[in-house]
Formats: sequence, C-alpha cells, structure tokens
Amino acid sequence: MVAPVFRNRILPYLLLLPSAALVLVFFIYPAVQSLELSLYRVHRVRGVKLYVGLENFERLFTSTTYLNSLEVTAKFVVAVVFFALAISLALAVGASQPIRGFGAYRTLLIWTYALSPAIAGLIWALLTDPAIGVLTGALSKFGIDFNWRRSQSDALIFITAAAVWKILGYNILFFLAGLKNIPRDVIEAASLDGANAWTRFWKMIFPLLMPVTLFLLIMNTLYASFETFGLIDITTQGGPGRATNVLVYNLYNDGFKSTTGIGLASAQSIILLGIVATLTVFQYRFVSRRTFYQ
Amino acid sequence: MMKRFRAIPAFVAFAAILVAAVAPVAAQDDVTTITFWHAMSGSRADVVQQIVDAFNEANPDVQVIAEFTGSYAETLTKALAAYQAGEPPNIVQVYEVGTRTMLDSGAIIPIMEVSGGTLDQSRFVEPITNYYAIDGELRCMPFNSSTAMIYYNKDIFRAAGLDPERPPQTFQEVYEMGKQIVESGAAPYAISFGWPAWILEQMYAKHNIFLANEGNGREGLATEVYLNNDFGVAVLTEWKKWADEGLLFYGGREYAANDPFIAGQFAMLAQSTSSLGGIERAVDFELGTAFLPRLEGYDEIGNNVVGGGCLWTMAGATEEELDAIWRFYQHLASPEMDMTWHKGTGYFPASKETVELLEAEGWFEEHPNFRTAFDQILAGENTPAAAGVLLGDFVLIRDIVGAAIEDVVVNGVDPQEALDFATEESNQVLADYASLFGE
Repeated sequence: MVAPVFRNRILPYLLLLPSAALVLVFFIYPAVQSLELSLYRVHRVRGVKLYVGLENFERLFTSTTYLNSLEVTAKFVVAVVFFALAISLALAVGASQPIRGFGAYRTLLIWTYALSPAIAGLIWALLTDPAIGVLTGALSKFGIDFNWRRSQSDALIFITAAAVWKILGYNILFFLAGLKNIPRDVIEAASLDGANAWTRFWKMIFPLLMPVTLFLLIMNTLYASFETFGLIDITTQGGPGRATNVLVYNLYNDGFKSTTGIGLASAQSIILLGIVATLTVFQYRFVSRRTFYQ
Repeated sequence: MMKRFRAIPAFVAFAAILVAAVAPVAAQDDVTTITFWHAMSGSRADVVQQIVDAFNEANPDVQVIAEFTGSYAETLTKALAAYQAGEPPNIVQVYEVGTRTMLDSGAIIPIMEVSGGTLDQSRFVEPITNYYAIDGELRCMPFNSSTAMIYYNKDIFRAAGLDPERPPQTFQEVYEMGKQIVESGAAPYAISFGWPAWILEQMYAKHNIFLANEGNGREGLATEVYLNNDFGVAVLTEWKKWADEGLLFYGGREYAANDPFIAGQFAMLAQSTSSLGGIERAVDFELGTAFLPRLEGYDEIGNNVVGGGCLWTMAGATEEELDAIWRFYQHLASPEMDMTWHKGTGYFPASKETVELLEAEGWFEEHPNFRTAFDQILAGENTPAAAGVLLGDFVLIRDIVGAAIEDVVVNGVDPQEALDFATEESNQVLADYASLFGE
C-alpha cells in the first residue's frame, strides 16, 4: 500500500489553481465570448449590438468566398503537413547519422524555427521576387516562369513552401529526439537478422517513431491552420484574387478590416475551432491504433 | 572567483541602462507627451521624423513621439483597437478610405473642436477640403494628400520609337503605345499600377461618374456601390485586354510595382503622386509624368480624387494635450513644413499659401514632374462625383475590389462577373454597416 503523496485534500486543487485560472481566463472565457458574439452583429468601437441569431453562420455557408476559403485551406494544410513531415523526417534521419561536425549541422537545421512566420514570408518573397529573386532567376534557367503575384497556383505553392520551410526546424528537433530514443539493440538485432536499411527504417524505426509523428501531425495541422497569418499578410494578402485566402486570413479581413464584422469573424472562429478539434480527435484515434508507446 | 569579477561589469552595465532609462522621464515631468501613429514607411518616414524633430526642438514643453504602425489599414485597425483598450494614440494618420469609419466610430474629436474653431478651412487647396469636409466642415487635419498619375520611362519610349514628350492620353493610346513597346523589345511589359482599386476609383471621379449612391455617400449613408455599371466593366475590360496581350505587369495592391518600374521592367506606372520623391531619386533613366489616361466614350469631366491621409485626433485627450496637438498641427501646416513635406515626398502642398511660395521660388519650373500632379487636379472640375467616396467600412470594400481586379487581370475572370460579385459583397458590407447606424 503506497501512501498518498498529498495528505492534505485541498492542496492538490490549490496547486492546480494557477494553471486552471490561466486556461479559464485566456482560453475558456474568450471562447465563450466568441460563441456569444457569433450570434450578434456588433460595432466594434461603439459597442452597438444587434441580435442576428444564426445568420452569421448561414451567411458563411452560402458565401462563395468562404467556401472557396475552406477549399484553399484544405489544400494548403494537407500540403504543408505532408511536406513538412516528410522532408523533416528525411533530414532528421540524415542528421542522426554519426558524421563529423554534426553538432553545428544540427543547429543549422533547427534555426528556422526561431523565425517568425512574417520573416519567413519576407525571405521567401525576396528569394522569389519576379524581378530580382535568386530562386526565380534559377527557375527561369529551366524555363519555369514562377510568379506568385500573377499566378494562383504559384501563389499557393509559394506560401506552402515558405510555411513548410519555417516549421522544418521544429519537426527536425522532435524527430532527432525521437530517433535518439530508439533502442540501438533492437536495430542491431534486426541488422544481424539480415534486414537492410530500407526494411529497418520502414519496419522498425518508422513505427517506433509513431508517437512523435502523431504529436507533430497535430502540431503541424494547428500551425498550418492558425499560425500562417503573418506569412500571408506580408506577401500575397490572400491573392491573387482569393487564391491564398485561407480561413484565418478571411477571418482577419472580416473581423478587423471592418468595424462591424466581429460577429461574423467570431462565427468563423467557432467553425475553425470545430474543424481543428475534429481533425485532432480523428488523427489521434486513427494514428493511435498504429502507435506503439514504449 | 573569476566568475564573480566577470559579473561586476555586467551588473554595472545593467544599472547604467536602468538609470539611463529612468533619467529622461524624471527630467521631463512637466513635458506633455503626444503620441502620433502614422503609416509612412521608407523615405516618407524620414521626412515625417524631420518635421516632428523640428517641432520638438521649437517646443521644449511638448514631446511628439511619431511611431510607424504599419500600413494604412493596419494603423487604422490598431488605433481603434487601442481606443477600445483605453490607450489610444493622441493623433492617428488615417487614409481617405477610413474617413467614414473614423467619423462614425465615436472615438475622435473633430478638428474644429481641437482648434477651438480657429482653423481657417479656406487655406487648404480645394480638392483636399472637399474630401475631408462633411457637410461643409473639415473633420480631420489634412496632412498628406496625393492623387494618381502616370510615371513613364522616356528612355524606353525612345527605344520603342515613340515620342518621349508625348505620353498616352487615352486608354486606346496606352494600348497602342504599349504594343509598340513590348513588340519592339524595348521593355518586357508596358504598364503597371500601384493601388489598382484606388486607380479604379480615380477613373470614376475623373469621368464624373458616381461610385456609390447617396451622392457617393456624401448626402447620407451609402447603401449601394456602382462597381458593376457599364463604366466599371468597360475599364476592367480594357485592363483585361492589356493583361491578356502581355502588356500589363500586375504589381500588387500597394507600392510593390515601384521597384520593377525603377528596374525598367515596364514603361508606364500608374501610381500615387506621393511616390515621386522616392522614384525620382532612385531612377537612372529620364523620368516623365503625365495625367491619368481617359477612357474613350465617356466624355464628362470630373477630377482626380484626393487620396492619402488626414490626421485624426483621438478622443480622451486632456486640455493640455489638446493644446499641444493643435500647436503641432499648426506647425505641420506652416508653409515651411508644408514645403519640406512636398519636396521630400511629392505629396501636395496642403495650403494655397505654400503653392504660391513654391511658384515664386520657381520650384515647379525646376521640377516639372512635381507640377504634373498639380496641373492635373487643377485641370479637372470639382464636381460632387469627384469629391471622393465615403463608405462605411470602405477598408474592407477596398479589399473586395482589389480581389476583383486581381481576378480579372491575373485569373482571367470575366469583368462583368467579377464586378457583379464584388458589388454584391460590397453591398452586403454596406447593409451590415447601415443596420448598426440605422437612420
């Protein structure tokens, strides 16, 4: 019989209180407020309020712009998450090999994480500037005319590339840690049994990395859905046309560029919350079944 | 032991920083601090700072702190958010698009109140007063005013075999000359725009056509825009033709087209006159300027509409602060500062007195490009349709129009279809706005 760690019955609750208070004040309270606001039309500065019921939601689901934004976001998030995970896993596996000077090498791989999305956007905007961009110049040598201001698909490729590049460092960091935790003896035993590198990776390393991959899958989905606003605002501003008008950017336009759209924007944030929560639960359920926690 | 010694210089440095940070505050107890948020970046920001520095030097009891707070739309958004949070700036620079929003926000003090009724409206150049006066009275302090004009590269004109002293005057000429420029290989493209949605607004005003009901929103709250009328469609149809035939270089929604113009990527740029200072200093070719072209078949004469920014005084200022703000405004509007501003940027001199001084000094003869903007606005007629549009939440509508133009010139959408959609979306914004200000 193990003695309870806390003899005082109130102490555990007291210790929980600070974090519970933070969650209440900064997450639950605003979420409830959004829910309430989504039923109103409000003048942001004057505070004039008009009850509109579910009109904000109805309007969103019949709005061409919003439906298009959903589609753009779906494409963007899937592309970002896929490429960010695939590329960072490949790089992490490479960087985990015992090579000379790999400390410095690894640091360099991680540093993109320290940049803000807006800065990542600026760097990529410079690289791919139609007139002076280094990358545009290189691409044009292969006969590719890359211009994100004048092509919808180029614009989507452009923000995807910048968003992927920015999150790589974060993913590599976790994959490296995950790779380090894989017990060497298991891998060695497999080698002795004649498994080649390809088999070892897909049959052993990849499944053992699943907990990390699942975590990153969820974090990357959140990142692509919420944190790419700065990147888009500083470069394409949702254009050309509405080609890169992702949900968060649409929300910002409706909620902040107008003084009367905060209700409509709140409705959008509720929808966005619903989508991301559903996705997270789904990913968790689906991937958990194939995950081995050690 | 070593470690402890090393810590001492660090501690001293830290203490010094603390003292340095606290000292000026302690010494300036009786100084009124005025915060001034603006949206002027690049070479414009330097001139703003120069003007502010001159004021602070001459007024030791006031300290104006000018802060760049992002683009016009961002600055407006931030100022209103700061007002809600109870910490507004004293002065905020708002572009003409935000006029109705500021007016209805309840977050401002009209300029006449700030000046105690002493501001003489008639001192300003007429189109400027026309824009920012509602029911005949100015509501904010005119600061930076511009219109749009054509900048062109005379070297490219020559290389294409065109007369460099004869820029295009009509859409048809832009098209023909553009063809010649691109086909002769003088430049990869013929023309580009800055602020395309604003250029479209300019077109309406120049051809004396209303863009919104209620007299462009000046006789009452506008509830309908006329973006998809035959005129709007005709303008965008021309632009689409230029784009389809490889003449138009789409250069984004603000100033991004300036750099490729300076680099010689295209021959003509429709851009705000306020870019003149920056462009003139940067180009290594002979620069020409011209009036915006007219569209054939629409013969009514209106005028270019004024754009740029006006300074709004945010509510919540104390008597002392109001006095300091008014003194700062007077400093800005003094002929000396007005001239510094005009020469440094290309924005209009705001007052008639400054214009006379510049004429007397021979400034316009020496700098004919600075004259173009002025001649253009004096050549037109200040009709109601040219006084500028006032729309609720115009900031968002600008964005809707910006996206529609991109849909047409980049994505190849039919002009009528894109403008019908933009009209519908804009009218929804106006209806929402009106529902909260129901009359």
